[in-house]
Amino acid sequence: MELTVLGLTFAALLLIGVPVAFAVGLASVATIVVAGLPVAVVFQKMVGGMQVFSFLAIPFFIFAGELMLHGGIADRIVRLANSLVGHVRGGLGMSNVVGCTLFGGVAGSPLADVSAMGSVMIPLMKKEGYDADYAVNVTTHASLVGALMPTSHNIILFTLATAGLASVSVLGMIMACLIPALILTLLNLAAAYGVAFKRGYPTHGKFAGWVEVARSFAVALPGLLIIAIILVGILSGVFTATESAATAVLWALIVTTVVYRSLSWKDFIKSCAKACKTTGVVLLLIGISSAFGYFLALYDVPQRTGELMSAITQTPWMIFLMINLMLFLLGTFLDMAPTLLICTPVFLPIAQQYGMDPTQFGVMILINCALGLNTPPVGTTQFVGCAIAGISVSEVMKSIWPFYGALLAALMLVTYIPAVSLWLPNMIMGK
Amino acid sequence: MPIYTRFCALLSKISLMLAVVGLIVLIACVQYQVVGRYIFNDTPTWAEALALLLVLYITALGVAVGVRDAGHIGMDSIVSLLPERFRLKLEIVIHLLVGLFGALMVQSGWLWTTLKWNDKKPMLSVPSGLDFLPLVIAGVLIILFSIEHIIALLQGKEVIPAWN
Repeated sequence: MELTVLGLTFAALLLIGVPVAFAVGLASVATIVVAGLPVAVVFQKMVGGMQVFSFLAIPFFIFAGELMLHGGIADRIVRLANSLVGHVRGGLGMSNVVGCTLFGGVAGSPLADVSAMGSVMIPLMKKEGYDADYAVNVTTHASLVGALMPTSHNIILFTLATAGLASVSVLGMIMACLIPALILTLLNLAAAYGVAFKRGYPTHGKFAGWVEVARSFAVALPGLLIIAIILVGILSGVFTATESAATAVLWALIVTTVVYRSLSWKDFIKSCAKACKTTGVVLLLIGISSAFGYFLALYDVPQRTGELMSAITQTPWMIFLMINLMLFLLGTFLDMAPTLLICTPVFLPIAQQYGMDPTQFGVMILINCALGLNTPPVGTTQFVGCAIAGISVSEVMKSIWPFYGALLAALMLVTYIPAVSLWLPNMIMGK
Repeated sequence: MPIYTRFCALLSKISLMLAVVGLIVLIACVQYQVVGRYIFNDTPTWAEALALLLVLYITALGVAVGVRDAGHIGMDSIVSLLPERFRLKLEIVIHLLVGLFGALMVQSGWLWTTLKWNDKKPMLSVPSGLDFLPLVIAGVLIILFSIEHIIALLQGKEVIPAWN
């Protein structure tokens, strides 16, 4: 009975358009009323879910991303990417992929990535005669790599969502995402090249030479160092994840104000304000999801879902496929954060039961949610890309398949070959 | 601009400014922890506790301003398919529901705040009730901003973000 109330109210509220965090909250309240318990319990769980130290890394990563977004680092990364791959056929497309990946490492968020790189690259590509749909697809897909980079707050979100289910370390997750991020970038490059070749896009000039590469690398380096600070800081044990995130903010400030001198006071205040608002939205979601997760566990939702799925099949690879399908379906409607927070407590225990490592599951759900960011009806990065290019989502969808294929291939590799995600963390952390 | 809108705009601007100050103090707090550990060889235990308390207040203010600036993530694909007349009604219902949640935040938040006021937090000699006060603050602001949205909808106006 309580479970029906939980599921139905949540679905109904979501459908009529109540913001996700409030839908989760009201559904939890409705459930607790039906169960005959005091409403205050929901809010106790909510505040409790927000009192974890590693949780503080989230506002910091969001803030660092905002600073990088407004701080003029995108132009420098474009120059570096251009010097590296700009001379290949469909050069701007290739530079776009490399640039988005690098910027994704700096900002750690697909949305910041597509906003920053998209507003530089998409108009440039259109001017050089590339089709708008190609420009959008290249940018939006390459941006998704940002979710897998060490600066990604979504990695922290996932580790928080596993609390009480499995022990997943932030460091392990960061390590596990690196190789899949590389694979995804290579697949994106292949897709961008393939389409460029098929459409007969031109080549632009010659390779600018290693001197130009070195020069543009030197210019972009201060910004790129943020990735190194986080990786080295956590790996060496000098910083905790939270402290490294706070240091990343400090570094982002130094780079944008002292080194590049491109962040104005107005931009700084704007970044602060935006970071506070985003923090509010994401952290409320985390708090309220911990209340929701409590009910899911209380009413054995993971177990029941697991039983339902095992009635259909008992083969692990089929189960993993089904989990991916369900995650994908939810991901098309929900944004990344809610999908991670709501689905992890349900599907992680099932995946573990069929032999999947929780860290591997984490990388899988991140890529799967990233897929949802480029899928209507709610595809946040895709919307931003389309808005910059001034074309409709349906136009972009027509030629999305090569890029979608790249993403799907990466997802399948992570789902079915544990070593893709687990080899690096096991190597370094010695398991 | 009507007086209520002006009041809400001012409230939202002050909230967001306070949140920004809080965020900067929060970063200073965590940095101080690192400095304390490596330079003064003394890890300040209060820094972590203060950071965890501060983040609750930043979130509360950010959540409330998010409600006013329509920053929260929701699905609008189905609502946008409806005819104008229904859509208006549905949007009012959505704001009523958000406001209702705000009211519940105030009620439960106040209950816990008063209940835990005499307990002290372990690392910080302040009342444990302070953990729950942000619920009350966020709740009150959410109610005010939801009412503003409903009035704006009825008058066919839009709520414009007050600051940044």
